[in-house]
Amino acid sequence: MSGPLLSVESISLAFGGLKAVNAFSLSLGRRQLWGLIGPNGAGKTTAFNLLTGVYRPDSGTVSLEGRRLNGLPPHEITAAGLARTFQNIRLFPDLSVLDNVRVACHLDARHGLLAALLRTPRHLAEEKAMEERSRALLSLFGLEERADDDARNLPYGDQRRLEMARALATAPKVLLLDEPAAGMNPREKDELTDLIRGLPARFDIAVLLIEHDMGVVMDLVEGITVLDHGETIAVGAPAAIRRDPKVIEAYLGTGAVDEAVDEAVDEAVEGRA
Amino acid sequence: MTKLLQTAMDAVAVGSLYALIALGYTMVYGVLKFINFAHSDIFVLGAWSSFAMAAALGWTKAGATPPLLGGFAILLASMAFCAAAGIAIERFAYRPLRGAPRLNVLITAIGVSLLLQNVGQLPFVFGTQPQRMPQLLPDRVLASVAGVDLRLVDLIGAGTAVALMLGLEALVFRTKLGRAMRAVSWDVKTAALMGIPVDRVVAFTFGLGSALAAAAGLLYAMKYPGLNQPAHATWVLLGLKAFVAAVVGGIGNIRGAMLGGLLIGAVELFGAAYFSPHLRDLYVFTLLILVLLYRPAGLLGRAAVEKV
Amino acid sequence: MEARPGPSAAVTALRGVLPFLVGAFASLLLHFVVAPASGPFATKLVMDAGINVILAVSLNLVNGFTGQFSIGHAGFMAVGGYTAGLVTYYGSMLLWGSPAAHGGFLGGGELLFLAACLAGAAVAALAGLLVGLPSLRLRGDYLAIVTLGFGEILRVLLQRTGDVLPTAAEVRRTPLPELATHVGGALGFTGIPFYTSPFWVGIFVTVMLVVAYRLKSGSHGRSFLAIREDEVAAEAMGIPTTRVKVTAFVLSALFAGLAGGLFAHLVGTTLNPRELGFQKSFDVVIMVVLGGMGSISGAAIAAVILTLLPELLRSFSEYRMILYAALLVVVMIVRPQGLLGLGEIWDVWRPRRKGTGR
Repeated sequence: MSGPLLSVESISLAFGGLKAVNAFSLSLGRRQLWGLIGPNGAGKTTAFNLLTGVYRPDSGTVSLEGRRLNGLPPHEITAAGLARTFQNIRLFPDLSVLDNVRVACHLDARHGLLAALLRTPRHLAEEKAMEERSRALLSLFGLEERADDDARNLPYGDQRRLEMARALATAPKVLLLDEPAAGMNPREKDELTDLIRGLPARFDIAVLLIEHDMGVVMDLVEGITVLDHGETIAVGAPAAIRRDPKVIEAYLGTGAVDEAVDEAVDEAVEGRA
Repeated sequence: MTKLLQTAMDAVAVGSLYALIALGYTMVYGVLKFINFAHSDIFVLGAWSSFAMAAALGWTKAGATPPLLGGFAILLASMAFCAAAGIAIERFAYRPLRGAPRLNVLITAIGVSLLLQNVGQLPFVFGTQPQRMPQLLPDRVLASVAGVDLRLVDLIGAGTAVALMLGLEALVFRTKLGRAMRAVSWDVKTAALMGIPVDRVVAFTFGLGSALAAAAGLLYAMKYPGLNQPAHATWVLLGLKAFVAAVVGGIGNIRGAMLGGLLIGAVELFGAAYFSPHLRDLYVFTLLILVLLYRPAGLLGRAAVEKV
Repeated sequence: MEARPGPSAAVTALRGVLPFLVGAFASLLLHFVVAPASGPFATKLVMDAGINVILAVSLNLVNGFTGQFSIGHAGFMAVGGYTAGLVTYYGSMLLWGSPAAHGGFLGGGELLFLAACLAGAAVAALAGLLVGLPSLRLRGDYLAIVTLGFGEILRVLLQRTGDVLPTAAEVRRTPLPELATHVGGALGFTGIPFYTSPFWVGIFVTVMLVVAYRLKSGSHGRSFLAIREDEVAAEAMGIPTTRVKVTAFVLSALFAGLAGGLFAHLVGTTLNPRELGFQKSFDVVIMVVLGGMGSISGAAIAAVILTLLPELLRSFSEYRMILYAALLVVVMIVRPQGLLGLGEIWDVWRPRRKGTGR
């Protein structure tokens, strides 16, 4: 297939006079891993909310495989193939770990309410398939041992992984991860990085990743889009972004630029040596 | 012409009472973002505590004439009493749940509402018998236009309601305390970080709303002196209509509550006068459904965006 | 994915209906063995309790499973009760010339009664749709106000209705739609035949419990629970939250209507507007909150206890509502999920979600 999988064309959103996101564009191909970075308040999560239908863009279009998504309610966007995790973890706390994932499998269920109440063979078969798929996802994320625990009782890192498993259960074409490594220790981060790296091939999906940890992002993605104050200030390969003075300035303020450039050059030289 | 004028006057009188009650709903919603179900019972408490005080002073006996300012003394006393009750309810029932899921707070509010109704019905409190409220405010016919009497008591009633609303408006928009209330309603956490004593502001809001409801209770009893027992369904419907007034105006919005109250009063009384008096509750309820369908944020409210 | 057939089609089908068969058997036992042995007073209490179980469990579909808050359940009960009463009372008049109970166990009268209950449930479900659609699009507390308003308005309208027509001749003279306005006004709808029996209560309780349990353990019910847990996340998982909320609400109203039908045909109760006002709605809310929001067995047990308790505490009746109200506030502060929370009574002995793995 030739066209991009996900195509975002110049979407904007203003809250009152404040431009939260301005003319944000993005094009994701099949099995591509892309990063979205920027300082706090740059509009990264707002961009996610625009893509997933939580907010409606003032202008611009979002389309997945040529189908226009903006204007649809969030659940239809998810059904169309765009799934997300939440920065501030929004699991279903009183449901078991298994049920958190099973809830997201509901799109597989084709039987009606009456079939469920009568426990028809079709209902039973679909329920069984959902459970098997959920357990497979849990074991991929190392959570199969905790399937029967309440989600609220999981440690922080497990909760983040469960969010990813849950989002994957909706069988997406594009997965949006909002700071999946936040609050994890270095070992957990390494494991997570390996896991994310394998997702595109394993599930035939594209992944868009918001992440604060530069180590994690730079290591994973083919390209990066950098936001600052709602504006896209740079787009490019990780190595180029790392040296882009505008990016460094956005993160560290002016003055830090020269120093950082020196450092980056040093690093690059060392890396080649 | 007579009917039109009479209906318009009644609509303003009743509407301003709805507005007074609606203000309590809207202020509490503004600061704590929940519907204080027990608010209408404070209104009932206002009416009944006024009656109890009047009875204690012997003004409910046949032929007794209360002194000129007696009504105002009772008004102030019942406002103070209900303010204290409102503050106590917040302290003991709602504050322990600050930050709990909204559903839990709502259930608690329903519990408090039931508690007030049923305690009020105990034989040694207000009892289960309907009572007749004595006329506590001076009354005579001031003028007669097209066969409609302009009565002093109606004028005092509407005047008190308007004066209280203007006072509230000044308090909220012109004083430091009012600014603190607005800050808390904007964002509780940030307000607390800015050094605003959130607990005290919330308690004050409850006290203020309850005092206004108490005033509405007494004024309502002046207009309709037959007092039903505290758990009677008529009170529930009155409270409900006042809540609808708050929603129609835009919940959380003080001016919206005033506007909503007058609008509800007009819809109800014109509907009763010109269509059918039996369906008056239905008009208000229909208005609520229409507002929820087409303008859920109310006439003056802003649509809320939930943070994700 | 291709749906594979289970062990054997016949076994699966049997498993699907087995709980209903067991329930039917238990209902027959209750009707022909237990009830005659325990006398009319105890039988009436059992039927009261059964009707309350249906009310509490059905309200739990909305208030417990889906996390919305309805406080107008008695309104839907009234819709079902009056509809069913209309069908049996005027139906009997037209068919047999008298409203008295007709035929024996499972006779013509009982079949009319069954049809009446189903009609009541259907009309109540329709009312649920009308109330739920505008209010469930919005978040949070509006449903409480709208359902309270619905119940109260309905009560006011019912009080305005005309007298029940006492003779078959008059009924035949009156056009059918107009009959709906002759339901007795404030005095209540008297003369409805007494068809409600331990058997029928048992059957409908069975249906309610099986439906609730199967719902909770299947993907539809999980969508309900997801909305209760986090509406934004549920929507992000592709759940059409408004539609699911309306479904839960309509289902809940349907069973409330069914309970209303049973209530209308019960010996010793009169179907009147005051009986089905907000006090009744609050009674049911208290059953759900005490039993556990989301717990089927919890709501059922609370319904039974709160049906029997007033009988034991007759001298205490003035304080009953005060006690309930205080309990509501205390439970919210001390144990906000209710006694059993989302769990079921059997989880208490067999903790399912504790500790690490297996």
